[in-house]
Amino acid sequence: MSMELTHNLLQQELLKHQTRRHFLKQGTVALGAMWMGAQAQASKPSLERDPQKPQAPVPTHHMPRAKRVIYLQMTGAPSQLDLFDYKPELVKHSGKDCPAEFLNGKRFAFITGTPQLLGPAFPFHQEKQTGQWISNQLPLLEQMLPEICFVKSMHSDQFNHAPAQLLALTGNVNLGYASLGAWSVYGMGSENQNLPGFVVLLSGGQSPDAGKGAWGNGFLPSVYQGVQCRSEGDPVLYLSNPKGVSRELRGLTVDAISKINRLDHQLTGDPETTTRISQYEMAFRMQMSATEAMDLSQEPKHIHELYGTNPGRESFSNNCLLARRLIERDVRFVQLFDWGWDHHSSLDKNLPNKCKQIDRPIAALLTDLKQRGLLEETLVVFAGEFGRTPMQENRGGVAAKSPGRDHHVDAFTIWMAGGGVKGGMSYGETDEIGFGAAVNPVTTQDLNATILHLMGMDPHKLSYAFQGLNQRLIGVQPANIVHDLIA
Amino acid sequence: MSRFPRFLKQPFYWVIVSLLAPCSVFAEQPAAPQAIDFNTHIRPIFTAHCTACHGGVKQAGDISFVRGNSVLPPEGWIVEPGEALNSILVERITETDPDLVMPPPEHGPPLSPKEIALLKQWINEGAEWGNHWAFSLPQKADLPKLKQEQWCRSRIDHFILSRLEKQNLSPATQASRLEWLRRASFDLTGLPPDPEMKQWFVSGTRPEDYEKAVDQLLASPAYGERWAAMWLDLARYADSQGYEKDSLRTMWPYRDWLIRAHNENMGYDQFTRYQLAGDFIENAPLDALIATGFHRNTPTNSEGGTDDEEFRISSLIDRVNTTWEVWQGLTFKCIQCHSHPYEPIEHDEYYQFMAFFNTSQDWDLRDDAPKLKVPNSAEKYSQMKQLIDEFARLDQQRVQLTAQTSQASTWVPSTPVKAESTGLTELVILQTDTSTEVQTRGTVSHNSQFTIESTVPTGKEITALQLAVLPLDLEKALHTPEAGFVFSEVKASLVTIPSEDQADEKAADQKPIPVALKWALGDESQPFGKAQHTLDPNSAGWGAKPKISHRRELVLIPESPVTLAENQRLQLIIKHKDAPGDLEQLVANRLQIATSIDPHWTELISSVDFLQREKALEKAEAGIRSIPGNTVPIMRQQTKALERQTAVFQRGNWLNKEQAVSPGIPAVMQFEGVENPHNRLELADWLVSEQNPLTARVAVNRYWEQLFGQGLVSTITDLGSSGVAPSHPLLLDDLAWRFQHEMQWDIKALLKEMVLCSTYRQAAVTTPEKQNQDATNQLLSRGPRTRLSAEMVRDNALMVSGLLSRDMYGPPVMPPQPDGIWRAARSRLRWNTDVGSKRYRRGLYTIWRRSSPYPSFMAFDAPQRVICSGQRVATNTPLQALVTLNDPVYMECAMALAQLNSPQEADATLQIAQMYEAAVGHGPTEEKLELLKQVYEQSLERLSESSEARKAMQIYHRDFIEQTAEWEKQKQANEKKVKNAEKEKATQEQIAALKAELPSRPELEISPELGAMTLTANVILNLDTVLTK
Repeated sequence: MSMELTHNLLQQELLKHQTRRHFLKQGTVALGAMWMGAQAQASKPSLERDPQKPQAPVPTHHMPRAKRVIYLQMTGAPSQLDLFDYKPELVKHSGKDCPAEFLNGKRFAFITGTPQLLGPAFPFHQEKQTGQWISNQLPLLEQMLPEICFVKSMHSDQFNHAPAQLLALTGNVNLGYASLGAWSVYGMGSENQNLPGFVVLLSGGQSPDAGKGAWGNGFLPSVYQGVQCRSEGDPVLYLSNPKGVSRELRGLTVDAISKINRLDHQLTGDPETTTRISQYEMAFRMQMSATEAMDLSQEPKHIHELYGTNPGRESFSNNCLLARRLIERDVRFVQLFDWGWDHHSSLDKNLPNKCKQIDRPIAALLTDLKQRGLLEETLVVFAGEFGRTPMQENRGGVAAKSPGRDHHVDAFTIWMAGGGVKGGMSYGETDEIGFGAAVNPVTTQDLNATILHLMGMDPHKLSYAFQGLNQRLIGVQPANIVHDLIA
Repeated sequence: MSRFPRFLKQPFYWVIVSLLAPCSVFAEQPAAPQAIDFNTHIRPIFTAHCTACHGGVKQAGDISFVRGNSVLPPEGWIVEPGEALNSILVERITETDPDLVMPPPEHGPPLSPKEIALLKQWINEGAEWGNHWAFSLPQKADLPKLKQEQWCRSRIDHFILSRLEKQNLSPATQASRLEWLRRASFDLTGLPPDPEMKQWFVSGTRPEDYEKAVDQLLASPAYGERWAAMWLDLARYADSQGYEKDSLRTMWPYRDWLIRAHNENMGYDQFTRYQLAGDFIENAPLDALIATGFHRNTPTNSEGGTDDEEFRISSLIDRVNTTWEVWQGLTFKCIQCHSHPYEPIEHDEYYQFMAFFNTSQDWDLRDDAPKLKVPNSAEKYSQMKQLIDEFARLDQQRVQLTAQTSQASTWVPSTPVKAESTGLTELVILQTDTSTEVQTRGTVSHNSQFTIESTVPTGKEITALQLAVLPLDLEKALHTPEAGFVFSEVKASLVTIPSEDQADEKAADQKPIPVALKWALGDESQPFGKAQHTLDPNSAGWGAKPKISHRRELVLIPESPVTLAENQRLQLIIKHKDAPGDLEQLVANRLQIATSIDPHWTELISSVDFLQREKALEKAEAGIRSIPGNTVPIMRQQTKALERQTAVFQRGNWLNKEQAVSPGIPAVMQFEGVENPHNRLELADWLVSEQNPLTARVAVNRYWEQLFGQGLVSTITDLGSSGVAPSHPLLLDDLAWRFQHEMQWDIKALLKEMVLCSTYRQAAVTTPEKQNQDATNQLLSRGPRTRLSAEMVRDNALMVSGLLSRDMYGPPVMPPQPDGIWRAARSRLRWNTDVGSKRYRRGLYTIWRRSSPYPSFMAFDAPQRVICSGQRVATNTPLQALVTLNDPVYMECAMALAQLNSPQEADATLQIAQMYEAAVGHGPTEEKLELLKQVYEQSLERLSESSEARKAMQIYHRDFIEQTAEWEKQKQANEKKVKNAEKEKATQEQIAALKAELPSRPELEISPELGAMTLTANVILNLDTVLTK
């Protein structure tokens, strides 16, 4: 058997196995090793995707631990110091001037001069089983800590919302680059051809600062961009039939379109025509499947109680439940954006409000995924675009009247659960007041590299040729995969 | 004139010259070469296996396969020309020891025996190096010999047929007149042919009809709209700023200029000059300034706390990359961080090129300054241009006069003795070598007001004060500017020094005596503001905003000279009210004060000449104000005195600067006879000069792609070594040369030749054999068949259904889109769906907000327009099907089409056939007609049963839409009336009567026939043939 043939067979084999849910339980090592051998032969920088089936599943570089991702983006950047990163020293020194050695050479979006340290607005509580600390504003999430891996040593170099969101999600501060979700579908395809591979859900009333760029395809073909599913109106744009047109009538018309297109295809022989026929038929199926997937009323009462959902309105809890329904249907990447975390002031009032909105649904999502056996292969990521200062904000040199924190890039916390990540642990540490990432710092590129790695892709190899460069999510420089948090 | 870059004239390169001439010999190469051609056979091997480590970025062992001199003697040492077996290169690639073989096993597979054989043959034949084809000038080619020459109508056809004959493929038969006309009409005007033209052309028989039809299409105003749409992608045009709030900005006059320029058939050379350097062209019309909007389409970041310099640089880099992508088709972007991995272009050369664009005035300001006022009426353009020129001329005179007077004066530095500020700002007085100055320390507050007392010469008639604001680091600020300043108001007064024998309280009682300042003259009027405004507390002020990079001077002249007594000091109060909302405060951080006793200042401000000029300036300004119009961002050059310096960014990081550079083009492009350009205009001139090898090639390749579906070089934006080799290199060069030299950059002439050639006239019919040999139709073995662009999909549906508005130009419009699309962060902008003709305008007039572009266009592969997009990748997705099936826009079109041709009683079959013909161009076959009739009949049956469905469909009826809009207006007026009446305590009856004045909401139940016909039209508008050209 020729080398090439072996390679192709191996690819097919791997693909077959990947689409099978419980494959990981058997034979991973053997096939994984063979795969690595075969992969070394292929040196093509860009993936060759069939333009006729751009979303078809493709084999990854190695066996994925996370076949699906739910990424919870808290737009505006929640305060890690009030939620996850417990700093007794900060509590102790709250109200004192921030020591100069922390401030030298630092730039902030709004803080000027010498600000005062600000302790957490609410007490922290230590979870018994894991020994991890968490704010008392997240009591339900606390119960899930055995599943959760904190990364407390995140840092960024962008202290404005839009560029920081772009950096975190597309690997570049400028608009025009491909997002993590787009890369995922480009690199893995999707196993459900009747739903988009990358779905975006918004809550909080506003889009993220980076706009559509946060889930854009950038230079990748447009089919890989995130499709925003909505709680109000059509769940997918233009999904529902025109007014007065029943599903039966729509079926009839789509059928006629296909038949006439087939007749034309006999004349021109254009393969695009055949593709169009199948895309119309898929659109017709998607009208059912997406509507069905987005229909929360199908969920039983106890699930609604678990999530605290209220169907028909846009909310973070609805989106968490939708995320589970989409993941269940093999959507590759679901990204939630929740607006309202930019707490420059009145943190003592606004933070508990936001915590109430997310505590129950996130705990429910993790519980629900787990009880359905989905958590093992679904990576849940919780992150903001940067962190917040351990100092009280003093815009224009004047301390605000209510507690609030400025944007902060030197340290922030994200967490992950499921999808091959160790639970009940923290990776990395900040210094005693939580100003900078002191132990095992992790960049946003490192985080993205780790997520891609968990999804079976080599972040250094996943690339797309554009403007003379093999563009990568992690950028030009190498990134570190954080192996220590992988189970 | 030589075709070769100057550096090739160096002794080492003499060999190359003889071999570059047939730069296109790789046109039709057989598999086993007779003789080796470097570019065809050798360079691809190097690019595939070697340049990753031995290229422009990494040059392991000091070897780079991008440059011949690093490989060949005398400098290189790995190849011995003529002696393959003595060459280290061959030794290493054939090595069996895994520690020695190249490439190392961990980097990639070994070279194939065929590749090794080619390299050996190349060395044995003398190892001649070749420059990449795109770096040598194109030439008119000799026509190839053909078997079927009679097929050819144009030079184009000779090259196409030659390639087909070599592959044993024959061209497709000629397309029907209708097929050709529909294709040409979409390609040239973006619209299907109008029925009259179709009737005339299809029924005609004379061969010359084709040319006549093309002339008509090229003369149509729709032509400019179609090509403007392509340029909007290249120019990354949008009606919004881009980041965060994504506020709207007025850019549409630039879009309108694109349309006009195309319709006037402006030459590609002038079109280039206008867009890149219209602000440099003397006596150019206003259009030249509007055209510079091309490079002002870059996003502006107005998020709070951002650094304007960072995002100015982001725009600057984008301008460099876009210029190269649009005009040179090269991936210049690579060189931002390091030397080019595959092209012989150095890292420093990126920054030399950046220097051309680094001296424009814009600075990521929220208001997008500098801007131009574009009159609403084109008739006022020349008047506006005269006023602007007049203002600029007079303003420059004033600046020069100030500078001359200032230079002739002796300035005596005054010594600040007391300096205080409001807010947190701390002021210190510092002694330097030449003067004593005031500087800020620590936190600088917004709105700081300085009070500075200085000792100045007493007993002398002081005629002028000078306030100089300086960057803290004068040298570094030239390339890395510091936080700027704006003087909102400056006041001067005299204060009495408390003498030792006087009680302190008494001295404090003595009020400062104000000095009446009559005039404030600035060193420059850039970047904004008028110096005189510093004397007016209610105006914007003057300064360096948002950054300072040079010493700035403001001269304050009192009405009459001021003499200080021995016990008096000068007190200055300086207000800084301007709030940029960005990273830094606009407060003077370093200030020097001086005085002059030169009587010229007093004479100056009372001279007739000075006062007349001020009057004339006011008049010009008033003239500009009086012409109604919109202000539009444009490019404006900094004056020489304020120009930024350009320094190389270390590894592309703008915070780490290396050596300073001057404007220049890369050495690889410096052909003999090329004068190095010094500014943007000279740069534009060079781009369209006979010494530029790329501009014409890139242009013809792009127009070719628009018509034939893919470029002769299929990587439209990369004609460099990493791009795909041309499919028809001789044709590309021949066409490029003729476009530049014979057609004199006449775009219409180029397009005319393309659509009239036999290649384009082929039927779009493929065969299994052609599918096998030429799957993508790169060889043009059949006519091009491609999906309509996003805008064309819309325009076509509107046109065939008779809804299309042919109104041109003006502010963007809001056709229907689903609710909740516009929800940008921190923004309250709302989408207000248009009614009337604005609802049916061509796609290119639809408002383009970057954070949420028109969703149906996005579904059809329109880019987001934040960066230059040279090529739309056409996808074929279910989301597209959902748009044309369900979007109300397409249902409105379907209903209009259903109403178009026939009175209600007409025969349904005939009507269906008419609709089909309107959309497709010709009538349906029996079989198709039967299928459509079935749709009609089945729909009719269902809709007859459901009055509810028929009522629901009213929203797609044009009458209903317009009546409802009218009714909404009446309703609002009525509500207002009722409210007023309630305020005036009208009686219940009166209010009820008022309410009754409002007619009931319009309702319209459409007939089952119209409903059924609408669905049939919906089927027709979704057919593959309708969505394809």
